Amino acid sequence: MATVLKDVVVRRPVAATLRLTVPAGGARPGPPVAPVLGQYRLNLMAFCKDFNARTQKYKPDTPIAVTLTAYKDNTFEFIVKSPPVSWFLKKAAGIESGSGRPGHVSVSTISLRHVYEIAKIKQADPTTKHLSIEAICKTIIATANSMGLEVVKDL
Amino acid sequence: MTASLHGRLSLLKHLIPFKSHHSSLLSPLHTTYSTSLPPDSPPQILIPPVSTLSRFKTKPSFARSVQLNGVSAFTSESDTSSITDVASDYLSVNIRCQKQDAEALSEALLSFGACSAYMDDLSDFGDLDEISITSIFPQDARVGTCITEAASSICLEYSPSYDISVCRQCDWASYVQESFQPTKVIDGLWVVPTWTEPPDLQSTNIILDPGLAFGTGEHPTTKLCLLLLYKLIKGGEHVLDYGTGSGVLGIAALKMGAALSVGLDIDPHAVTSARHNASLNSINPSRMPLYLVSGKSGLASPDATVDDLVSRKGQFDIIIANILLNPLMELADDIVSYGKPGSIIGLSGILSEQVPQLEERYSKYLDGISLSEMNGWACLRGIKKMH
Repeated sequence: MATVLKDVVVRRPVAATLRLTVPAGGARPGPPVAPVLGQYRLNLMAFCKDFNARTQKYKPDTPIAVTLTAYKDNTFEFIVKSPPVSWFLKKAAGIESGSGRPGHVSVSTISLRHVYEIAKIKQADPTTKHLSIEAICKTIIATANSMGLEVVKDL
Repeated sequence: MTASLHGRLSLLKHLIPFKSHHSSLLSPLHTTYSTSLPPDSPPQILIPPVSTLSRFKTKPSFARSVQLNGVSAFTSESDTSSITDVASDYLSVNIRCQKQDAEALSEALLSFGACSAYMDDLSDFGDLDEISITSIFPQDARVGTCITEAASSICLEYSPSYDISVCRQCDWASYVQESFQPTKVIDGLWVVPTWTEPPDLQSTNIILDPGLAFGTGEHPTTKLCLLLLYKLIKGGEHVLDYGTGSGVLGIAALKMGAALSVGLDIDPHAVTSARHNASLNSINPSRMPLYLVSGKSGLASPDATVDDLVSRKGQFDIIIANILLNPLMELADDIVSYGKPGSIIGLSGILSEQVPQLEERYSKYLDGISLSEMNGWACLRGIKKMH
């Protein structure tokens, strides 16, 4: 009598969680990918090929946030997420850089509408699906304030 | 939808702290919400649809940054191109924080200038409250400020302590090589690293030292292409390896009996690696000419050797292109132009889900399109139409 263990998920022991930002379609055997993957003896070329293939649908050089789970047997899995919040905020505000003195000096302003739209993109990420829009907005507003961006109701 | 959007946004306005010393910067808050906004479509970062982010101001305006007491705006998130420059040094920063804050802090660091943030699995830290994250920054990053900003963006009550070390660029090629093992493609065909004895001396062994180029025979796409070549080559063919990488496919073709194997790539590391590997396999350079081409449109740069490449158009019996979806789509005309009518064209480096798109693109050039797949990767092949 064979028992099919479909529901048993064999969890491989995890060595580390690695977070990277890599330009879409631009993973190469060098920084920022190589120092991190090399540290855990992961197959660098396989990651580059895989990541580049999976990010073909994004505009080239869009910074993509990747979370990799490295297992103790030197295998790995990764998830591709949307770009970092600060990148969206900079695009929304039309600026290249944050403020030198956040909290004291404001560089630009963005509207709640921007925050909401960014939150909607972020909510589609595999890791934040369970969070409420309001919770995600709070993080985005906190990030914006840290960058010296004012969030206003309307522009 | 607009009504509920209005409702949600009114609730959200309480999240904006009112700072009295900034009263001149905040417009007065009011409860009625303007309904003249465009329809609610999610901004897209995907191609080819036009991104609605274009509604956002996209022109960087440096003039808007404020100078106060000589403190000017600085780049808190550096241009990724500076760290992808293989020759530059980088900063490796060890940051200590409370275990429960580690994930949030790692995410936040990426938003404030870090290129990466990694840590050992939290369960490895046992009962320790404080854990360390390693974060990589470009050489010119202002690490302290980045860490402070990241911490405040997640409302951390303490300032994480950290140490910075400057790291020299490594020989990344050695990182690549560590995981390269002898690989059997099929009975009688192996791809073997140059530093290992071939496990089966009787079979056809392709010896490789790939360096920074792609193609060790281990990846499903390389295997799919090798298997295709194995099936097609009878002896005497002219083969084009479009996007040659380490040269593995070109070399394999020659070892299987092809008369000539031409390789081209946009990456100088690839051309160097392929040349080196050809000699490791005792292949005369005249049987495996290699060309470095410009990436943009597949058109070669105007110089004598590359005119030579262009003159080979229409002469190949087999073309194999293991690259990525976007170049395969953009360069379809160029790739196909090298084949004789009736030649076989194999395309890989694509995920199974990308096949329909590619098939549609190539359907005007190829007949008898068929597919082979391995572990979610695909290889499409077809016969070039006669006219």
